[in-house]
Amino acid sequence: MNDPLRNDGLLRERITTYLAQQTGQPVSVGELTRFAVGFSWKTYLVPVQGLHGQAGVQRLILRLGPDYGLFAPYSAMPEFLAMRSLEGSTVPVPKAYWAGDDRQHFSAPFLFSECMQGDAVVPWVPAGTPPLEEGYRRALGTQFIDALAALHCVPWQHQPIAQMAGAITVENAALRNVEFWERQIQRWAMRPYPAADWAVRWLKDHCPVAPRVAIVHGDYRTGNFLEQDGTITAILDWELVHLGDPHEDLGWASLPMYMGGSKFISRLCEPEWFYERYREKAGFQVSMESVRYYRAFSLLKLAATHMAAARCFEEGRFSDMRMPAMGSQIATCLRQLEKTIEAKP
Amino acid sequence: MNNSFPRLIDGMCATLRTEVLTRLDDEFARGQVFGVINLLNTLKARGDWSVGFLAQQVSAQCEALNQVRQLLQGVPDSPALPELRAPTPMSAQDMGALRDEHNRRIGDMLQWLSLHHAQLPPELAQAIEGHLRQSMRTEIEIELRNSPRPLFAEMSSGQEN
Repeated sequence: MNDPLRNDGLLRERITTYLAQQTGQPVSVGELTRFAVGFSWKTYLVPVQGLHGQAGVQRLILRLGPDYGLFAPYSAMPEFLAMRSLEGSTVPVPKAYWAGDDRQHFSAPFLFSECMQGDAVVPWVPAGTPPLEEGYRRALGTQFIDALAALHCVPWQHQPIAQMAGAITVENAALRNVEFWERQIQRWAMRPYPAADWAVRWLKDHCPVAPRVAIVHGDYRTGNFLEQDGTITAILDWELVHLGDPHEDLGWASLPMYMGGSKFISRLCEPEWFYERYREKAGFQVSMESVRYYRAFSLLKLAATHMAAARCFEEGRFSDMRMPAMGSQIATCLRQLEKTIEAKP
Repeated sequence: MNNSFPRLIDGMCATLRTEVLTRLDDEFARGQVFGVINLLNTLKARGDWSVGFLAQQVSAQCEALNQVRQLLQGVPDSPALPELRAPTPMSAQDMGALRDEHNRRIGDMLQWLSLHHAQLPPELAQAIEGHLRQSMRTEIEIELRNSPRPLFAEMSSGQEN
């Protein structure tokens, strides 16, 4: 097979060539390991010997966004720009080394980054799973809140991510976002969903004004950070990053799907503590009406990603067996979406 | 097939868990197997033997019995046979197309209502919206009643707790 996306041996060869070109020195690439985590990009652990002439093996992460993937066509640039913009900030992010959208190297957009130590805490747990140990939960929760607040305080206007700003303002941030996801639903839905149309109309009619335009992670939750011995070592999965209302990340992180059957936001934080500590650190008053708005928006976005998964599998672009399983969750999102909109603020 | 549809699904899931997963070390491959189990459970909740397949068998029976019935006309002491009609079931595909057509109408009606709400008597607007939204809710509830618990934790980690 002459496709590095389907042939790990060929992918290793291509990585070896690419890294040698970038560093100007020969390197040796070891056996690749593909991670099960992530439903969109393909993620590999790449052991490299001789990188920048250094002794020993260095471990890199390579992410590839195949043209047959869930949200294809992909671009590695938002993630790359965000990670570069956050270098030196208090937001723990892996160092981003190289990225590109051209297909000549790996037949897909790609991103090489630092491999961070730690494990992911999964948001989905079987019924009856005991809650996280109290001290551990509070320690992670504190860092989870602080990293989010730090992200929303980054003065992005002079960072690489400013390239993505377009004409965004505090007034139009919500509407631009809803219109973007409305277009995705039109693109991905394989049948009419009047409940989604109804929700889009409600979201357009109730757009809040953002307290500021900030870097929004777009998928900030348990499962998308690594922790080691109670310390968050890295916030990962920046593929949905964009500029927008910081309330969006609060809405997403507090989705019931990520509570793991507990009463804690992302299995980590009591809601009152989460919003209060975030307010202190981020330096603006959290609007619970905006949180509710963005929780509803997040459920629409989640429903849209499930529609993408169903279409991706149906069209035969991808035979990842997790895709149709995701597709079966559209109804769950739409039911929760209506409840969220109907809930009293 | 002589086994029931749900029992076959249960058997496939059990085989994957006890015979395949126990011998599989690769995390990604294990996640895929959990994806397959998740889908098999969905099929168990929503699927059944093809109606079209059964309809063909029943049609063949009807044709044979109707011909025998004709042949037996006038034969003394022969068993009485009713005249049979071959069934014309709607396929799941046709039924799905009908549901989508109705959903399109519901969506169009809601859109129309949002534009003309102010011109309608409030009780009328409320009643129309109530019916349309109740229909959307019912469709979703039926779907959820026929959905197994998703195995996202297992699919992401390749591990079963």
